[in-house]
Amino acid sequence: MRDVRKLVLALLVVAAAIALAACGSSDESTTASGNTGSGADSGKPAPEAGKPGSPDVPTVVVRDGEPVGGVQELEYSAGEQIRFRVSSDKAEEIHVHGYDIAKDVPAGGTVEFDFPAELEGIYEAELEGLGVQIAELRINP
Amino acid sequence: MSFLPLAHALATRQDLPVPAWLFAWGASIVLIVSFFALSAGWREPRFEQPHSRPFGAGLSRALLSLPAQILCGAVGVFLFGFAIYAGLEGTVAPDRNFALTFIFVTCWLGFPFFSAIFGDLFRPFNPWRAIGRAAGAGFRAIAGQRAAHLTYPERLGRWPAAVGLLAVVWLEVVYGSGGAILEPEVAATAALVYTVYALAMMAVFGTEEWCDRGEVFSVYFGMFGRLGIFGTRDGRLERRRPFSAATTWATVPGSAALVLASIATTSYDGASEGAFADFIETGIGWCEDIGLGITASIRLTDTIFMLLTFAGVSLVYWLGVRGMRTVPGAPSLAKLRTGFAHTLIPIALAYLVAHYFSLFVFQEQAQFTYLLSDPLGTGTTDLFGTASSGVDYTVLTANTIWYVQVAALIVGHVLGLMLAHDRALVYWPDYRRATASQYWMLAVMVAFTCFGLYLLSVSNG
Repeated sequence: MRDVRKLVLALLVVAAAIALAACGSSDESTTASGNTGSGADSGKPAPEAGKPGSPDVPTVVVRDGEPVGGVQELEYSAGEQIRFRVSSDKAEEIHVHGYDIAKDVPAGGTVEFDFPAELEGIYEAELEGLGVQIAELRINP
Repeated sequence: MSFLPLAHALATRQDLPVPAWLFAWGASIVLIVSFFALSAGWREPRFEQPHSRPFGAGLSRALLSLPAQILCGAVGVFLFGFAIYAGLEGTVAPDRNFALTFIFVTCWLGFPFFSAIFGDLFRPFNPWRAIGRAAGAGFRAIAGQRAAHLTYPERLGRWPAAVGLLAVVWLEVVYGSGGAILEPEVAATAALVYTVYALAMMAVFGTEEWCDRGEVFSVYFGMFGRLGIFGTRDGRLERRRPFSAATTWATVPGSAALVLASIATTSYDGASEGAFADFIETGIGWCEDIGLGITASIRLTDTIFMLLTFAGVSLVYWLGVRGMRTVPGAPSLAKLRTGFAHTLIPIALAYLVAHYFSLFVFQEQAQFTYLLSDPLGTGTTDLFGTASSGVDYTVLTANTIWYVQVAALIVGHVLGLMLAHDRALVYWPDYRRATASQYWMLAVMVAFTCFGLYLLSVSNG
């Protein structure tokens, strides 16, 4: 009698576990398919007349030392190119932490970053002089 | 709104959240493992009896000799003093100053990690204990008698350490949040204030007494050291069965509070940017609405959420203890509460590993390259020729980090269950009742482990 109860309990636990794992997997696939954009879809002004072949390079707009619309989330996969632009009304130095890449943007100008996504994880891009974060780069494996 | 707790001020990098499928598999394994733990539980305690083999007398004497003790103590005092000097005199940039990485990464994370393997490593290097003992020896030499101390109130137990742990983490993750980065100078000043407090308490209660009960770092690191394989008994070094020394740890009041504070503070640090981020943002808004400044609003809200996390974690444990009390033949609530506290030490360690393992691996590269060669961050010194080296973030892939995180939580869960099962066999000589009581602890552990997995899986930010 006890053994039967144990067996039933064991089966229930295993069933619950598999159900949990299964629904977790499907969750993952839906989020993966629904989230392939690069995160720049938050009402940004269209990128300035940049290179004709790259219409969807996201641009982070900086006004008065703050990113317009808050810290921008940019998402990439390891191995691809990380490409984004920063335009600013004032001259700033833009620093991508971890990758340790820094570029100057002139007042009223735009600077483009283009480098391979070698490091996985979440890294900050900030205005080096002010210490203000403007973007968060997510590099998924 | 960009929060910058200390870890990010140092590493400017965060872990990716654990993907949903791995979260689900982790939780499933926890459930299956727990079930088998219940049904296949052993009937005799395995960790409660001391299992140890002493070192050879000569080796033991050499390692524990007075010159060796003085040497270790001097090293501890020197490094601690140097960290304070770097904090006061060095650069204000947190990531370029030796002080913050040394205190909050190398020591604060390194001692728990390595003590859990090798036993209490902090005790020989504890700078406050070294100073206290030297002062005691000086007093004896001059006065010709031992210093008189007050008797430490037994009821206080480890409570001063538990409160101190909350205070240290508060300084680390609350005071330094909301753009107001914890400056090296502030950390160094706090360390000096703490030193005055610790030495005063040692003068009142005695050096060893205070280190055993009230000195935050000794008590906290020593707790993890109970899992490790080396220890001392009767003045002799010994090798003991892993985890067996934990069974004699929770004998005084406040022990449960200490280990719960550890779990809560790690949870809070992980959740403040992920699971709790929206609630915290709302709370900050309310504080601003009633007229508080932005920094005050952030600190007040963060403090409240940290205390709420502590209350929530404590409530889960308390419910488990209440549940065990309903099993016939149970000891008193107070005895149960203290008696099962040590079973949470592996969970607390698992939380630390899951949340800080990658930070530790990356930031120790900084510790032993540019922070060692240019400790003040002046940009002009290069003591060992490594000042221009950086951190290699490719040493850990996101997948490695995820698997270590989930594995840590599962292993911590299993160890916690084992220790709890063992303790139940001591309290309930009847095997079936012991097992019945463990349904409650099982629920507590599943709650903590799945909460830990959940925190890792929530996207931050």
